[in-house]
Amino acid sequence: MALASTATLLRRAFASAAAAHGGHEGGARTWKILTFVVALPGVGVCMANAWLKMQHGSHDPPEFISYPHLRIRTKPFPWGDGNHSLFHNSHTNPLPTGYEGPHH
Amino acid sequence: RQAHAYHMVDPSPWPLTGATAALLLTSGLAVWFHYHSTTLMTLGLILMLLTMYQWWRDIVREGTYMGHHTPPVQKGLRYGMILFITSEVFFFLGFFWAFFHSSLAPTPELGGCWPPTGITPLDPFEVPLLNTAVLLASGVTVTWAHHSLMEGQRKEAIQSLALTILLGCYFTTLQAMEYYEAPFPFAE
Repeated sequence: MALASTATLLRRAFASAAAAHGGHEGGARTWKILTFVVALPGVGVCMANAWLKMQHGSHDPPEFISYPHLRIRTKPFPWGDGNHSLFHNSHTNPLPTGYEGPHH
Repeated sequence: RQAHAYHMVDPSPWPLTGATAALLLTSGLAVWFHYHSTTLMTLGLILMLLTMYQWWRDIVREGTYMGHHTPPVQKGLRYGMILFITSEVFFFLGFFWAFFHSSLAPTPELGGCWPPTGITPLDPFEVPLLNTAVLLASGVTVTWAHHSLMEGQRKEAIQSLALTILLGCYFTTLQAMEYYEAPFPFAE
């Protein structure tokens, strides 16, 4: 019985609170403002930051060392020649035998 | 006429086509790996996409034009969403457990250190941070879309939803770029 009346009390409290600030009117406006003042500028700042970091971070990929725990090939990949990972990038990804192409 | 507020669903072929798609996708994956044919897997993919489109179209029809989504039915749908989100939480818990298992006590095979020898990690404050901002921003825009919908503002609902999807595409593009530029592949 005590539990039922607590629940009723809570329900009444929430209902009057909602009525007091006009229910859900203007909810969309709040989030629209948040979108253009906080969220999207936040994305812009992080874009600028990432761009700047990427600029002065460019350097040559590390030298190739044939570690046994890396570039393991117990079974060929089911695409291409079976030796290249799905997002293979010949500038940064060496094959088990070393970097491909002339630049390295 | 029924004496209750629940939705007695009409007979539908989509659960069967969905289950068939699941079978074709899984067996198709195995066939691709071992026999280098993508036919079964492609069939499964097409069937899955068809099932998704038609099943969800039916749900939209049932919930709107046909009025089947009464308050008790909506409550059940909310429970469903809560259960799904809970399963997602456990999904991520698995990944975090695996990461801490490997990184807190690195094995000698990795060089006894973390990151493992030969692995150059990504800078978390570069693209990963940007993607976090994009993700959070899309949460703000989708909340805007939700409130617009609840308030009957059609134009704003469409705009905010479009923004949300745009942010999602941006996130995916950035991820693809990360995968391509990374000095180590998924296999590592």
